[in-house]
Amino acid sequence: MQVPGDIQIIKEDNVTHSFCGLACVGWLYQKIKDSFFLILGTHTCAHFLQNALGMMIFAKPRFGIALMEEGDLSKNEPTLQEIIAEIKADHHPSVIFLLSSCTPEVMKVDFKGMAHHLSTPEVPVLFVPASGLSYNFTQAEDSVLAALVPFCPQAPVGEKKVVFLGSVNDSTADDLRAEAEELGIPVGGFLPESRFDKMPPIGPDTVLAPIQPYLSKIAVKLARERGCTILHSLFPFGPDGTRAFWEDLALEFGITVDLRDREKAAWEKIRMQTDLLKGKKVFLTADTMMELPLARFLHSAGADVVECSSAYIIKKFHARELQALDGVRVVEQPNFHRQLEDVRRLQPDLIITSLMTANPFVGNGFVVKWSMEFMLMPIHSWSGVISLANLFVSPLQRRSKLPVFDEKVWLEGVMPSAE
Amino acid sequence: MRLAFWLYEGTALHGISRVTNSMKGVHTVYHAPQGDDYITATYTMLERTPQFPGLSISVVRGRDLAQGVSRLPTTLQQVDHHYHPELIVIAPSCSTALLQEDLRQLAAHSGVSSERIMVYALNPFRVSENEAADGLFTELVKRYAVIQEKTAAPSVNILGFTSLGFHLRANLTSITRMLQTLGITVNVVAPWGSSIADLGRLPAAWLNIAPYREIGVNAAAWLEETFSMPSLTEAPLGVEPTMAWLRSLIEKLNAIGTQRGVPPIVMPNLKAFSLDGLSAPSGVPWFARTADMESFSNKKAFVFGDATHMVGIVKFLRDELGMQIIGAGTYLEQHADWVRKELEGYLPGALMVTDRFQDVAKVIEDEMPDLVCGTQMERHSCRKLDVPCMVVCPPTHIENHLLGYYPFFGFAGADVIADRVYLSCKLGLEKHLIDFFGDAGLEYEEAASSEELPVALSDGDHEASPAAASASPVSSESTVLSDDGEMKWTDDAETMLKKVPFFVRKKVRKNTDTFARSIGEPVVTVEVFRKAKESLGG
Repeated sequence: MQVPGDIQIIKEDNVTHSFCGLACVGWLYQKIKDSFFLILGTHTCAHFLQNALGMMIFAKPRFGIALMEEGDLSKNEPTLQEIIAEIKADHHPSVIFLLSSCTPEVMKVDFKGMAHHLSTPEVPVLFVPASGLSYNFTQAEDSVLAALVPFCPQAPVGEKKVVFLGSVNDSTADDLRAEAEELGIPVGGFLPESRFDKMPPIGPDTVLAPIQPYLSKIAVKLARERGCTILHSLFPFGPDGTRAFWEDLALEFGITVDLRDREKAAWEKIRMQTDLLKGKKVFLTADTMMELPLARFLHSAGADVVECSSAYIIKKFHARELQALDGVRVVEQPNFHRQLEDVRRLQPDLIITSLMTANPFVGNGFVVKWSMEFMLMPIHSWSGVISLANLFVSPLQRRSKLPVFDEKVWLEGVMPSAE
Repeated sequence: MRLAFWLYEGTALHGISRVTNSMKGVHTVYHAPQGDDYITATYTMLERTPQFPGLSISVVRGRDLAQGVSRLPTTLQQVDHHYHPELIVIAPSCSTALLQEDLRQLAAHSGVSSERIMVYALNPFRVSENEAADGLFTELVKRYAVIQEKTAAPSVNILGFTSLGFHLRANLTSITRMLQTLGITVNVVAPWGSSIADLGRLPAAWLNIAPYREIGVNAAAWLEETFSMPSLTEAPLGVEPTMAWLRSLIEKLNAIGTQRGVPPIVMPNLKAFSLDGLSAPSGVPWFARTADMESFSNKKAFVFGDATHMVGIVKFLRDELGMQIIGAGTYLEQHADWVRKELEGYLPGALMVTDRFQDVAKVIEDEMPDLVCGTQMERHSCRKLDVPCMVVCPPTHIENHLLGYYPFFGFAGADVIADRVYLSCKLGLEKHLIDFFGDAGLEYEEAASSEELPVALSDGDHEASPAAASASPVSSESTVLSDDGEMKWTDDAETMLKKVPFFVRKKVRKNTDTFARSIGEPVVTVEVFRKAKESLGG
């Protein structure tokens, strides 16, 4: 698909305030219920998972760290047999995902060989590249799905069905399935399904419909290996995205549907929210790679998106979103110091930003929303429209209800190092 | 290599940033892959910092490594340009430490003056949070403290208070209030809120207060050695230790005051330390003597944690509340010897030293204490076992960053701890009533709590393996031993168990199971239960 030449993507040096790929464990271990996620990593990986993702309350979760200690650094190959045996005995998983992290990658550990060696027909051990040296926050889901490909049965030629690409909770999955069926689109399943042994068949006549914007590699891989078709549309967020998504998907099945009225009704349902968003300056700082479709929804809703930054922008995969963002400042790999200066200059009404930066922006007088919340809320398709709109609107509304805040008074002594 | 789910201590990088995030004009640059920036979130979310912490990451990407590119010089230039720090501390992550780069050389390429750069490269596989924080703080003190004219009036430095410290603000307030009462000036608090210039002024104080074994004691020792500044390294935790701490403080300052011809500090009437200035400074001594607390005398406590708080709490529970200590442990192996010495005569057995929370949970399960004082993880373990638990030490958690004034130090701290013991433990007189007469209508609490538990612990063992559970063969054995190794009880025995008060029921069940196994009974019947009661004094 062609990207019109007038869309300017500004490329800077790097995203700093975001997580590494290991973060995907946080939702995927819950999504794939008979799995175990084993990270070959260090104290840092463990500390990250237990702190940043708030997981310390789980004493025996279905993920763990094969903890590399000093003595392990001199060994050529880490030996995971005992740990794998322990996991099997305690958790009885159907599959173990073996995630790489920075330290063993620097050590050039042969993960593929190791995973192969540890695999048994009963319990496969699948290598998932996830380290912060190469992968951003949400991107390791791409790696997990790639590892699952051999376990998706080959769908026969002529079996024309849609497979939705991306992990969503079961109720969202049910909604998407029902919507597709109502439009006459046969559903092959979801990658991933919630059980390892239930992964969907994929073949040359499968239509892959990506429902998360960070899964470009798996889409390309499946198109190459199984010859399936990738749906290039908007992602199903907001009335505009949802309409385009379903209309385009239906068209892949030779079904022409006109969802104009449905879209109009959906906008009508969130009129109160869009009235509030109209003309509001919104700044997205880059974190989860969901920024493009979120900004596109805001843009369609009449907000003034003053910057939409994202960790990576894949021109072909994101083409439709980029087209819809025509005229919006789009930045890949933004520099945070520059963003900070621009935020102070532009004075946005709302900033969508990471867990690391949210409170300091508030302390600087801005209204924020955690970017990560968009990953944990059901915002897909028609049923997610109100949730999506409310996520943007609630911080604005809430702030307007709070009393006037004199920071000179109420921030006194909160952070002595900054005074 | 071992399988880890959760660790008590944070990383060296975390320790380093705790110190620099405490300080003004100091910026840390992590030379690390992208995700290491999660540390920033611990400050912005737990301490809810209204400004950006002085932390930047110089991202190391796989591609950069392949191409031999380093972003460090550019990052240093950007940090210098945007934040103008007085000092930039450069710290490698666990992964980049393996690259064995010459970070000083790389930093020199930035053009930022080497005097404003400090490369603090520890072995992250050997050094953890506390040691790194203490090490860096000591280094900074050594680097910047210069000989000073002593202040005219008695003054102290307060050392070791560090970002994300356990009840940090309240403890600092509690200590400074006591100092105010005595008319002692605080010269510098460090690293919390201090600048480089403040570190320079440290030797102007008469004495250093360094109550945390984990951070600050080494800096105090160096200052004592170099500038002959005495130090007070005890923690004022509990009423008696606070009194001893005050006496020691006054004595040490007066010794200097005599030499300098300054009038001595006199211990005021103790009510001067109370919040209203009119009352006893703490309610604990009276509270401990009340008939109410008499019922606590046979309560058994297990304490696990860091060094400073763990030791203080053991002493407080035994010496001031008259409870029994059935065991204690620490996750800080490097402080274990100090802890053993401090707790000589307090523990019935050896000190437990482990960083595996599973081992601690096992002890709690075996002992079923009446009170556990521990970390957030013990609280979690205890919840599963229905054992009362209060959190007394780091690792820090959002619940340790409350808005109210809950110190652990000083007289006010003793009150806070005693209140928490009281609220955590099961009741006093009511307990006797219930023990004697049964459930006293409190049965519903069990039902309510058992409804909550599966939600709170939805990631427990059982949820994990529905396949395994449904696939397990239903044989005659499986009716005797359930999946988790619990003994099968007959209905009659269950009915009898129901007559035991709900809050000790789990303990009684467990003891009876153990008893039944020991006498080779496969099922707990009414007879076995009776025998167990007789044998265990139940």
